Amino acid sequence: MSSFLIHLLTLVCLYAMMALGLNLQAGYAGMVNFGFIAFAGLGAYAAGIASQLGWPLPAALLLALAAAAVLAVATARLGRQLSSDYWGIATLAIAEILRTVALNESWLTGGAQGIGGIRPLFADLPSPWRDLAFLALAALCLALVYGGYARIIHSRFGRALKVMREETSLAVCFGYDPVSLKMRASVAAALPAALAGGLLTYYISYVGPDVMVPSETFALWTIVMVGGLGSNLGVLLGGLLVQSVYSFAPFLKDWLGVSSDLAGAVRLGLVGLMLLACLLWRPRGLLPERLEALS
Amino acid sequence: MTSLLELDGIAIRYGGNTVLSGLTLSIDSGEIVGLLGPNGSGKSTVLNAVTGFTPLASGSIRFDGRRIDPLAPHRIAQRGIRRTFQLPSMPTRMSVLELTMAASSEHHQLCAALLRGRATRRIEHATHARASALLEQLKLTAVAHLPAASISGGQKKLLSIACAMMTEPKLLLLDEPTAGVHPNLRGELIDELRRIHGLGVTLVVIEHDMHFIRELCERCVVLDRGAAIANCKPAELDKNRRVLDAYLGRAHRTARPLEAP
Repeated sequence: MSSFLIHLLTLVCLYAMMALGLNLQAGYAGMVNFGFIAFAGLGAYAAGIASQLGWPLPAALLLALAAAAVLAVATARLGRQLSSDYWGIATLAIAEILRTVALNESWLTGGAQGIGGIRPLFADLPSPWRDLAFLALAALCLALVYGGYARIIHSRFGRALKVMREETSLAVCFGYDPVSLKMRASVAAALPAALAGGLLTYYISYVGPDVMVPSETFALWTIVMVGGLGSNLGVLLGGLLVQSVYSFAPFLKDWLGVSSDLAGAVRLGLVGLMLLACLLWRPRGLLPERLEALS
Repeated sequence: MTSLLELDGIAIRYGGNTVLSGLTLSIDSGEIVGLLGPNGSGKSTVLNAVTGFTPLASGSIRFDGRRIDPLAPHRIAQRGIRRTFQLPSMPTRMSVLELTMAASSEHHQLCAALLRGRATRRIEHATHARASALLEQLKLTAVAHLPAASISGGQKKLLSIACAMMTEPKLLLLDEPTAGVHPNLRGELIDELRRIHGLGVTLVVIEHDMHFIRELCERCVVLDRGAAIANCKPAELDKNRRVLDAYLGRAHRTARPLEAP
């Protein structure tokens, strides 16, 4: 049971990092991104490919971050021409294009089989310590991201984002360039997602096109909506809840005696129910965004 | 006096509708100019043109000797032009104080936010102090910690002015500052705008309230159907036949008083 708990907490840390990124982009910058998983997927593939080439971990993760930053700038630039709802659709399309490329360019990505046999981190440590060490690394990364984001949000840059998300023309009157703000916010949002994606590749020693399926973006949105859009503490809580439902759902198979196919569907359905319940009863999330206290 | 803002033959069309037709106007540094005219005469469009929100069909706009009409709106704001809106719309998830602090747009680098060094903290303190002082001056301290969207319409007008003053603009464009403001507060608003003018800010005020214009402005420009029909002292307005025509219609010339013999 304890190894299951370590596994669950590791996944919570990794998915919370991705969801924090989505929260910065959607919750603070007001950019509704329906293809956010592309950043994590790009990070996961970059790490997988780099480790296949025999690159060390820091180099692999740097490649993951660079790839996601380029994608972030490219998608934000696309937003210059599109209004926010059309931009949302475009992001979904971009994520799907990347997944299709990953599925078909076998020479680079291994195609549908993906890239397996990636040497895990801390492979020399004995069994429970190896997982604990990875959990500690993931938790440290999450803490750094959380702290960094807290600084960004409580800064002049964060205030600029908040004016822009609700009153863009007011932000322009104050002298802010929305395109530049969106671009920088996108990069700041993409980096933790790519880092989490890269770490996920090392954690499960595998990367395949399934990391980028649209339902993964849906899961990240559920984490953010359940926790509270624009509330980083809420995102941590949302990550814990959603990932717990995700991870406990397979046990239903044993308890209820249903087939594993059905258990997978139940898992997705449960998360959908959670989102629906939240939208009905707590539309601003379990820990809603609060006004910043400036004393 | 040097010319701060020069509009040279600016024309603006929305679809087939000509809103401004070749308006030429010059505003000197240190003036307070009232912009008047009936509804639909193009007053707000002048503000939108100067701030870059509406592109020109023809003509040019110079500010401080340099052309600004090809610039993006945020660049124009950075040159030192601030404006308020006729119906100010404020964010729901920011407090009045936070929004006022956000109005100062210098030094909003992402890396500075992450590192939060001594210089960044010092700027933060200064911004906080300045915003608090401005809110105090405009009698908004009591609502400083409420959501900016939750305060009254009149208070939003005052908040717009507080935001505009966060960066010491050279030119402040006010779109109907007294609309929705309680009459008791109008006197204070005039005092406040005079004080701002005393700091060296040039003011352009769109207003329907003639008392307000008479008290505050040194000169007024009257627009009608996209063209300037008068450019004079406020006291000379009621003798100007074209202004009377625009406001009252031509009928007033032939209409006889009821008790006329």
